[in-house]
Amino acid sequence: MDIKIPSTRQTCLASNARQTRLVSLLLSLSLTLWLALLNTAAAQVAEGEIRYLVKHDWVKKMAALEYVSAREREQTAYMWGNRSEWKEYMRLYFSPQRSRYEQSDEVAEAEMIGYAWRKEPLLFYRDFEQGRQFDIVKAEGRTYLIEDTLQCPQWKILNDLREVAGYVCMNARWDDPLKGHRIEVWFALDLPIPAGPEDLCGLPGLILEANYNNGAMVITADRIDLRALKTELDWPKPKIKGKKVSLEQYREVLRKYIAEQKKAERPWFWGVRY
Amino acid sequence: MKKPVFLRLFLAASLLWANALNAQTPSRVILKGLVSIDSVGEPAAMATVMLLNPADSTLLTFARCDAQGAFVFRNVRNAAYLLKISYVGYLPYQQYLSPAENETVDLGTLVLRPIQRELMEVVVRTAKAPLYIRGDTIEYDATTFKVPPGSTVEDLLRRLPGIEVDDGGNIKAQGRDVRRVYVDGKTFFGNDPKLATKNLGAETISKVQVFDEKSEAARLIGVDDGKQERVMNLELKEEYKKGAFGKATLAGGSDNRWATRGNYNRFDDLQQFSLIGYGNNINETGVNWEDYSEFKGQSTFQESDGGDFGFGGMSGGYYFSTSESGLMNYFDGRGFTRNAGGGINYNFDNKKTKANASYIYNQTFLDLEEFARRDNFLNTGVFSNTDTLQRNEFRGNHRFNTRIERNFDSLNVLILKGGLSWSRSDDQELRQQRFFDSDAPQNVINRIGADNGSDRQAWTLNTSAVFRHRFRKAGRALALSAGYSQQVSEQRERFFSQNQLFVPFERLEQFRTRNLNDVDGRQLKSSALYSEALSQRWFWQTFVNARYSDNDANRQVRAPDQGDARVDSLSVFYRFTEQYYRLGSSIRYVVEGFNATVGLAGQQLTLNGRFARDRELPLLAPPIRRSFGDLIPYAAIEIEPTDNLSFDVEYTYQVSAPSFSNLQPIPIFTNPAFQSIGNPELGPERAHNLDFSTYYWDDATFASLGFSFDVNWYESQIVFSQQVERSDSLGIITISRPENVTGGQRLWAYWWSNVPIVKNRLSFSFNGYAGRRLAPAFVNDVRNETDDRDLGLNASLSLTLGSKLFFSTNGGAGLNNISYSIQSDLNQRIRSYSAGVSLKWEFISKTFLESNFNYRFFSNPTFDFRQEVPIINASVRRLLGAKNRIEMRLAAFDLLNRRITINQRGAENFITTSITPTLARYFMLSISYNFRGHADKVKGSSGGIIIY
Repeated sequence: MDIKIPSTRQTCLASNARQTRLVSLLLSLSLTLWLALLNTAAAQVAEGEIRYLVKHDWVKKMAALEYVSAREREQTAYMWGNRSEWKEYMRLYFSPQRSRYEQSDEVAEAEMIGYAWRKEPLLFYRDFEQGRQFDIVKAEGRTYLIEDTLQCPQWKILNDLREVAGYVCMNARWDDPLKGHRIEVWFALDLPIPAGPEDLCGLPGLILEANYNNGAMVITADRIDLRALKTELDWPKPKIKGKKVSLEQYREVLRKYIAEQKKAERPWFWGVRY
Repeated sequence: MKKPVFLRLFLAASLLWANALNAQTPSRVILKGLVSIDSVGEPAAMATVMLLNPADSTLLTFARCDAQGAFVFRNVRNAAYLLKISYVGYLPYQQYLSPAENETVDLGTLVLRPIQRELMEVVVRTAKAPLYIRGDTIEYDATTFKVPPGSTVEDLLRRLPGIEVDDGGNIKAQGRDVRRVYVDGKTFFGNDPKLATKNLGAETISKVQVFDEKSEAARLIGVDDGKQERVMNLELKEEYKKGAFGKATLAGGSDNRWATRGNYNRFDDLQQFSLIGYGNNINETGVNWEDYSEFKGQSTFQESDGGDFGFGGMSGGYYFSTSESGLMNYFDGRGFTRNAGGGINYNFDNKKTKANASYIYNQTFLDLEEFARRDNFLNTGVFSNTDTLQRNEFRGNHRFNTRIERNFDSLNVLILKGGLSWSRSDDQELRQQRFFDSDAPQNVINRIGADNGSDRQAWTLNTSAVFRHRFRKAGRALALSAGYSQQVSEQRERFFSQNQLFVPFERLEQFRTRNLNDVDGRQLKSSALYSEALSQRWFWQTFVNARYSDNDANRQVRAPDQGDARVDSLSVFYRFTEQYYRLGSSIRYVVEGFNATVGLAGQQLTLNGRFARDRELPLLAPPIRRSFGDLIPYAAIEIEPTDNLSFDVEYTYQVSAPSFSNLQPIPIFTNPAFQSIGNPELGPERAHNLDFSTYYWDDATFASLGFSFDVNWYESQIVFSQQVERSDSLGIITISRPENVTGGQRLWAYWWSNVPIVKNRLSFSFNGYAGRRLAPAFVNDVRNETDDRDLGLNASLSLTLGSKLFFSTNGGAGLNNISYSIQSDLNQRIRSYSAGVSLKWEFISKTFLESNFNYRFFSNPTFDFRQEVPIINASVRRLLGAKNRIEMRLAAFDLLNRRITINQRGAENFITTSITPTLARYFMLSISYNFRGHADKVKGSSGGIIIY
């Protein structure tokens, strides 16, 4: 964990410590300091960069496709079982006003170090201040440049607490009606930024983990670097060519494609980002 | 994001209801309050305050407290809300808010309850979420706390932060005594909490939950006395997801045709166990892909772990595990076979350790009759022979294979593999050959009748170990490998031939031998590979390979007609050793979509051989010692201009040692008319090789195109020169001998394309190959250049109509032109054409018709050869039972009764054409039970007709 914020403020937890017995002086001291760091982060963070580790499990992706016959899904699981996972890194630049999510230059699969594939074009840019968003997504072999007013999922707030990357997080859920995903996210209570990975946004805290369909794709922040950004969050000027559409037009493309694939009983996620 | 209808209705209804109740109720309100962390009023600065829809917790809006803990929501709709406050170190706070009567609602001071300090420690200290706080319940993920095997729950509890267990087994959670312990929410054998914790095994527990509940007295009387007792619930692990499936098929048909197969699988989270068996007399020498992959389960594909590191590095990826592919159906279309086989497979995988063990047995009896003609040409003329063969063959193989992969941590992995196989074969053959001058077929030169038999047993052992270590520095890795293999075989042969000669006078020569062939070969090898990232873009690899092999072969030929005396001219014992060393290094430059590698290796190959008449006898000649040193360059470029288009080019230089059987100087033959003899002076084959491939696909239309070609230039090629003699004592004999010649090229190109015309409905595919081989060879010491050109084209059109109908049609042509520099009269134009249609149709619900018609035509004008083979197959199947578990099928195979197998082939100085009868028309009725149900859709594929 890379949290580099100087501590100045006394925290509620430290005061709380008075009430409890001395279990281990050393541990308490270091922990108190740490918690203090965590809590003060909220007050001080302005912006920074997050590296997310994305784990894809295509057997679980297959398992979530209810329109493919159970026979086929069971056979895939039986043959691939534990070998179906692959990992990649993604990067999020964020500030309270803007965020930018894109592919990282770092390679997550140790076997793939020393080889560089052509990456598919991808960008999720959010401007919370202006209420605008700009996405670059490849679907069905075509690149789309999507510019529209900011649209975030309609979250249901749940009641669990958990730590992710050194931050205490609460969970929330969204059922994506278009792709049929159930997405459970964990957002940091003390990073008051409505940003997150992929097209996820709009929670009172930064989303540090997103779990799609019970493990089919899990995006977890594994390095948080709070630092001043330069031009990373400027409105993107893509060099890439693509079809300019509105968000609704793009959704219509997806809707049609997914329906087509369902009819052919083929997984739709080979041609479209999960 | 649209709100669900019911939610809108709910909101509208609650608003209406509020309005109806009180006409003065404002439509917009201000909600405010103060959040504090204790009763004194210490503010919860920057706490998050959310307004949720009380019906489904949907987030409607949120705000943040200021430094004084104050929050305010201005101008929000006047409705019922669930107010939720979150603040680090405190339990989430929730309060239900009814619609307000006044425009400003002051909620006053809301006090948060702290999370126990020890618990907060846990939340933060343990990186991977072993603890959840669900409302007032604290939950530990038991599986993330490591305890030794055989530990009790008590041992586990001692490791959980915030929980203490004293010597007497009494439990405290967050400082308070635990009064009760539940197991899966139920009381476990009375009230003593220790009963469960002392007796249950730690490995049975998935979660430990701690919460407060009303005292027992309060629960009994039903009156809340305000007392809370701390309770613990132990949640048992879900039973491993166990399962079993299997299927069985039985089929019987006309002409005593029968077939059966079955498999059974059991599995849970960690293990897969399967059995498979088959038997038939319809030329299926093994099982199909689906059955095979179900049998092998998770070990169908294995990570590549060959220990022979080289320029390609230790490339990742999966390959199809071929070690047991003997179980898969492979039949070359010739003759009649009876087959049986079976196997047992076990897989274990807990992510740290992957293990696989399997045993299979398969056997095949082959009855073969074949009619062939061979035309041999010399610089002086052409002679031919006909060849009628009758062969009975048995082959049986036992194979045991095991593989263990152990990941010690994310940086170190060890892979051990072992395979042991034993095989036996037994052949009997009768052969009739007639030799004649091609321009005068009636003038028979000689006739050979042979009656040969052989019986062979062989053992093979293969073992290997690969260890891989990744250093902390990304891109730095070391891999080491070692392998040992051994092959031992023993073969007894019995040869008898009669040679009837007509020139200069008619007479009969007989030749009878008994041979004993023993082979014992051993190989030891080891490799190392070191990779290093020089920067983000530059990578360096270096590798070392060493191999040592040692082969003993003893061929003892005896003549029963001469008192079983050894035939010295045909008996030989030889021992060959081979030492091979290679040291190489390569450098790679990578940038998104561009990867280029150049490398250079030096290699040294030393061959040692010695020959004697028999194992104990003196050497026949001084030992042979050959040594070859070479520098091997390498280059490769992979380019992806876009993410759906790629180009790969690879240049390699190959130096392959001659096989030791090609080096031994004693003739080997089963038929005196065709003999082969080795060449102790033979050098390695050296070739430059260039591979190119490109691939394009389009996700939008599902179109894809691929093209590849592969060119070899030989600096030195091993070819078989032919010495053809007409001897008065033997008739015509051909002796082939391997030799190095310079020159020669081989080019092979292959392409395929798939273009949808109507997406998901109608698609067109076109593929083909083109090849050219220029091979020089000596025929009776005259250099002949053979130019062999191949062209194959195939096109097909498939139509899918919903899930009920699939139709496809295809056509193809194979053209093979061969020309010979010393005998252009014999230049060949070998042709084969095919056309076919195929249909799969669910014509009544759960009833399917599958049929195909395939017409093939073979010709070779040089010999006036023409043959057509039309084949019609058809089957009707019906699914029965609730989950389509039963399938009945009636199939007709080769309705026209025309199936035969034809092979046409040209080589150095001969062309052969063979016709082989094989299984023709039969009918079959089968019943099949599949626990998982049979496929109930007509899926687009142009595969053949399933007979059973």
